[in-house]
Amino acid sequence: MVRLMVLWCPTLSREGSRGEEPRRFAEVLDAAVELAPFARPVRLGVLAIPSKGPSRFFGGEAVFAEHLQGVVGPLLGGAGRVCVGAAEGLFAAVLAARAAVLVAPGATGSFLAPWSIATLRDPDLAAACQRLGLHTLGRFAGLEEARVLERFGLDAVRRHRVARGVDGELPGLRDYAALRRLDAVRHRDEPSEVQRGFFGERGGADVRAAAAVQRLEQRLGHGAVTVARLGGGRTPDDRAALVPWGSADAAIEGRDHVAPWPGRLPSPSPASIPSRPLAVALLDEHGHRVTVGSTGLLSSVPDRLEFEAGRPRVVAAHCGPWPMAERWWGVSRRRAHLQVLCDDGLAVLLRAERSRWWLSGIYD
Amino acid sequence: MFVSRPELPASTVALATAIRPTAPASSRLLPVVEPLSSLLPDGALRRGGTVVVTGSPGWGATSLGLALLTAASTAGHWCAAVGLDDPGVVAMAELGVDLRRVVFVPRPRGAWAAATAELFEGVDVVLARPPARVAHTAARRLLARARDRAAVLVVLAEHRDDWPVPSEITLEVTEAAWHANGRLVSRRAVVRAVGRGITGRPRYVSLWLPGAEGAIAVAC
Repeated sequence: MVRLMVLWCPTLSREGSRGEEPRRFAEVLDAAVELAPFARPVRLGVLAIPSKGPSRFFGGEAVFAEHLQGVVGPLLGGAGRVCVGAAEGLFAAVLAARAAVLVAPGATGSFLAPWSIATLRDPDLAAACQRLGLHTLGRFAGLEEARVLERFGLDAVRRHRVARGVDGELPGLRDYAALRRLDAVRHRDEPSEVQRGFFGERGGADVRAAAAVQRLEQRLGHGAVTVARLGGGRTPDDRAALVPWGSADAAIEGRDHVAPWPGRLPSPSPASIPSRPLAVALLDEHGHRVTVGSTGLLSSVPDRLEFEAGRPRVVAAHCGPWPMAERWWGVSRRRAHLQVLCDDGLAVLLRAERSRWWLSGIYD
Repeated sequence: MFVSRPELPASTVALATAIRPTAPASSRLLPVVEPLSSLLPDGALRRGGTVVVTGSPGWGATSLGLALLTAASTAGHWCAAVGLDDPGVVAMAELGVDLRRVVFVPRPRGAWAAATAELFEGVDVVLARPPARVAHTAARRLLARARDRAAVLVVLAEHRDDWPVPSEITLEVTEAAWHANGRLVSRRAVVRAVGRGITGRPRYVSLWLPGAEGAIAVAC
């Protein structure tokens, strides 16, 4: 489990009648992000930071915690109190912040043991356990998992794992409604600026298009509407990506698609790229499978191309193969591409990978 | 086979065309690239109209449909592709489509007509590939919606009669032949334009679809 540092501002945990807490907590969050870029809100008044990186940078967890308190404290004014705690897993870290202790690494289990069973946020489970004499997390964690499943059901097993310190994500710990409000306060909910018009301005047409897309997303679900982005790569399917409308990934455009890619497949590119892998069979005139040898040459002259469905096609000509050995230093990927022209005018791009032929594109 | 083609504006002229002001929405016509203009009655796509693009599989109907988006998208009009779950994004870039102006609805889950109608509200050109033969009433409704919103519907149909109502313009790829020289270089395609919008005899144009660098050009 990841060791987390949690910062808790008790005065900002509940929204008051004037409703200024989300805005002030957003300021706290921005200040924390300045110190540690991976600071993320958990709920109103609570934010979590993976503590490993910042601790090493600032020279120890205690120093970082002090630093964090020093930066956030002045933002809250006189009445505000800042509590910082650290432990393994989100649940333990939130309790550590409540107690304002930095739990020693590996001591999370013994830290959790004396806390009340009510901290698991399940009144029914708490009442049942109290009647059984299991008042603390430690006593509850001492039960066997199979007995918990038998007696209390699957949901209690998740809480049991949290009590044992095996899992940190207690259901209900993260308040997603509050997080969305925080995003709105911090103006993080707008579509990314790649979709903006010329010089960052949005014309009337852009606003209308965005509204139509949003209505369509409500109808079909998030991710149904996508935009295309070009990236670097050698093959058409490596170079292009469809990303959901408005996602942060939409910003990959222009990064390295202008860089030279030696061995890039020549244009024109196929107008149709199958969205899922489609195996095909490439046979020679004797009906044997055509393969690409270790020297990068075809084993024989292709004669027939068979798709999973439909009649086999006669191969009129082929160009290639172009072998490609990429990322030999890491996740190695070896493949070879072959352009095949059938006698009915269909031209396809095939890929030999893992000793099979796959359809990579149709020149439609 | 070392191909490097930095997509930066080649000259100040290209830069000037790229940053010129977008066309006013009130304009009645949407531009198409020069090689296609002789196929269309006004030399451009007429708002509120429909174009059906068809041809044998693998003969270039998809490329032709995507090429119709090229000039409109670079002029700042929004385009959409509905029901194309396999768009060749790199091929679109090579044709010259401005990908920043194109949204995709790859899998509309049986609601392609509803999705298309919704997109007419904010998008100028919708390229749609219906999953099967379109019902007569659905087609009529879409036509009315497109006319009402002054948008253009481009239908990619596998067969000519997949689109049940007489279209204004039907572009059909009637011949296609690849030229290869160590690799596939270009495809010469003959496109026939027929329909209510075309008076007199059908028009024929011979095109490089796509040409050597992936762009579309007139073949002589």
